[in-house]
Amino acid sequence: MPGSAISRRTLFQLAGSAAASRIAAAEQASGPKPSAKVVLVTLGGMRRQETFSPEGVVNIPHLCNDLLPQALFYPQTWNDGVTSHFNTISSILTGVWQHVDDWGKDPPAHPTLFRYVQDQLGVNAAGTWVVTSNKALTANIGPGANVILSKQLLVEAVERIIKGYSSRHQLDRDMLLEELTTVMQDDYERIGWNVASPSAIMDPQLKQTFMSALANFIHGPEAPTSGDELTCFVAQEVLRRVSPTVLMVNFSDMEVAHSGTYSLYLRGIRKADILVHRLWEFLQTLPDYKDKVTMAIMSEFGRDPDGSSTNGFFNHRSNTAANRCTWMMVLGKAVGKPAVIERPVRQISMAPSLAALLGVSCRQADGGPLDEFKV
Amino acid sequence: MAEVPQELLAKLPRTFVPALNDQMRNLDSLFPAEQRSIGEQVDWLARLPDARFRELFEPLKALEAKMDLPAWDVNTERLTIRDTGILVRSPYYPQWRSDVADIFQKIEAGVNSERKTPPANRLVLCVLPGGLPLRSEALWPRLEKQGRWIGIEKPFGQMLEPFAVAVASRRPAAGLEPIERTWALEYRSQLSGAQAFAPASVLSFDALGPVRREFLLRLNTIHKDLRSADAVLEDLHRMDIHKLLPVGVEQEARTREFIRNLFLSGNGSMLFGNSFVQWGAAEVIRRAQPQALLCCFGIRPKLKPFSSVVLFEDQNRANPVADEPDPEGSLADTRLLTEYVYLSASQHPAFAGRTVHLFAVPEWNSVLLLAPPQFSLPSGRRLALADLCAGVTNWLA
Repeated sequence: MPGSAISRRTLFQLAGSAAASRIAAAEQASGPKPSAKVVLVTLGGMRRQETFSPEGVVNIPHLCNDLLPQALFYPQTWNDGVTSHFNTISSILTGVWQHVDDWGKDPPAHPTLFRYVQDQLGVNAAGTWVVTSNKALTANIGPGANVILSKQLLVEAVERIIKGYSSRHQLDRDMLLEELTTVMQDDYERIGWNVASPSAIMDPQLKQTFMSALANFIHGPEAPTSGDELTCFVAQEVLRRVSPTVLMVNFSDMEVAHSGTYSLYLRGIRKADILVHRLWEFLQTLPDYKDKVTMAIMSEFGRDPDGSSTNGFFNHRSNTAANRCTWMMVLGKAVGKPAVIERPVRQISMAPSLAALLGVSCRQADGGPLDEFKV
Repeated sequence: MAEVPQELLAKLPRTFVPALNDQMRNLDSLFPAEQRSIGEQVDWLARLPDARFRELFEPLKALEAKMDLPAWDVNTERLTIRDTGILVRSPYYPQWRSDVADIFQKIEAGVNSERKTPPANRLVLCVLPGGLPLRSEALWPRLEKQGRWIGIEKPFGQMLEPFAVAVASRRPAAGLEPIERTWALEYRSQLSGAQAFAPASVLSFDALGPVRREFLLRLNTIHKDLRSADAVLEDLHRMDIHKLLPVGVEQEARTREFIRNLFLSGNGSMLFGNSFVQWGAAEVIRRAQPQALLCCFGIRPKLKPFSSVVLFEDQNRANPVADEPDPEGSLADTRLLTEYVYLSASQHPAFAGRTVHLFAVPEWNSVLLLAPPQFSLPSGRRLALADLCAGVTNWLA
């Protein structure tokens, strides 16, 4: 692990004594084999120095103290591809380093995990979902899957109000909800990006379900200053109401770093830490997922080092370890025994590893399944 | 230097040509330091023996042959966003970037070996805003290890303006044009409002509000595709911004184009005042290379519910929630951004090893000094304003 990386020993010390009881509980889980489910959470760019390092762990208490003790943790996970959002997430989902249009104009050049699952398990579109905050993604990220660009939905509703494209002229909760409803129900296709619609929810009946859930969210205690709160909320609704076999969730509040506000970048990391924990805890409350799900969490890349010619934490363009070396954490059914795996691994191993849990083969993937996953 | 010889253009790697043509086409909007640098590099390359020229560029040309690049030739005027995207997502891009950095290092070394005039001494001052919730812990732990705190006889906030005026009105150093002497970048319009600071080039985030808002408005019309982005950016590159700029700033063509490019090069400079100061400073150091640079940060407002999810917008539009300052967030932002200003200067050949860096907090009776050993100030007592001004202006003379 480069730089001031945290050691395996320190990680386990940070985790505290709670680890022992959780590991014991995990080992007792046996019995009839349930149908497997997979949740993949990708996070925007976060540097080691603000996360898994002695000075960074303060920003990720849930990842470190609550989740790590029950996880397989790969602290040296390399992104050897293009360190842009669309290409990185495409690479993770296909198991092949992708070099496609960064703006999501085209789908990945190889089949995604969703396609393999649909083809080999006979799962229909309702069984594979993407809920994403990142504005750089389009519906092309998961051809054939349901793709909800949740932050885009919120952004478009807000923009329509502040630009005067709507009959609603003030940004209060009620008017925003009305606008969101309009966007979802009526203007959905019309106002989208011209390369893809803002969402590809294939079952129109689901829209109504989301609308009532959205109303609860907008009127709830978490005023939407964060796109990721909304993404987490929508992901929970998908899990609760649709129970897909594969769900990919993407959080990206930390990408505010592009604007150079370090405090907001840290806030985005802390928010992601809270939300991944919330998502994991939520999965444990759902009978369809408890004891059946594997949840993988991974950062797309780091960010550029302080003093780089690419302006440090603002960007993720440099060919440096700070940018390319990231981490991944695996929770749930695939974890035989919690461990920190210090061997370097590649992000393109994730899709084949998750696929293997479902009894599926990513035939065109360059990456292979990770040995530590308990299939 | 009016143009690059065609035979040289034809010999250069394909990826070099559009950028060089773009610079030559806009030579008048480049600063003297940039013009000198391009002239020296082109001259050095034109005189380089064929064998050494091939040795320098062949590895890169071989790499380019493997990259699936657009059909650029000696007439290609610039790289579009689409071109850049193709370059960046090539599997060979990391190697290309590394090779290009190596080549420029060698060219610079060659040019420097022939340079006769020693570079000038320089000053970079960074001032945090007043009202930050400062604690007892070290403010800049990494910088403090390399420097020392100097006592001053009154809080720096009371010294800033007269100090800045003394720096701006110092006797000109030989061989530098006025635009290479003193620059200031500020969040609020403090120095830009001081008449006596007029000899300096001052850019204020607040004062540039009209041009920022106009750019944001137009950028928000971009559809999510490359053709639209290229078209809007082309439009913004051509837009007449005279009337949107503060009086004084609009007259100087190079500064005007600097502002345009600063905003269009991103990094939050259109949205957040402190990002504007830091990224502006990095670009001033790289491009104008002034002898003295003053950076004054500010306290930004908190993000608002709802509208803050749309970052490329004026978050006050249609939002009934009043602006509220965020001193805690501003402290975290500016601590790191001041370090970034230092890192930009300390890594630039014109600044490295010959720059006095001062870091100040308006309420404090001390400043952090990082300076070459040749720089001296009176010791044994708290410095008066006159001592500080004399020390710095002597250094810059």
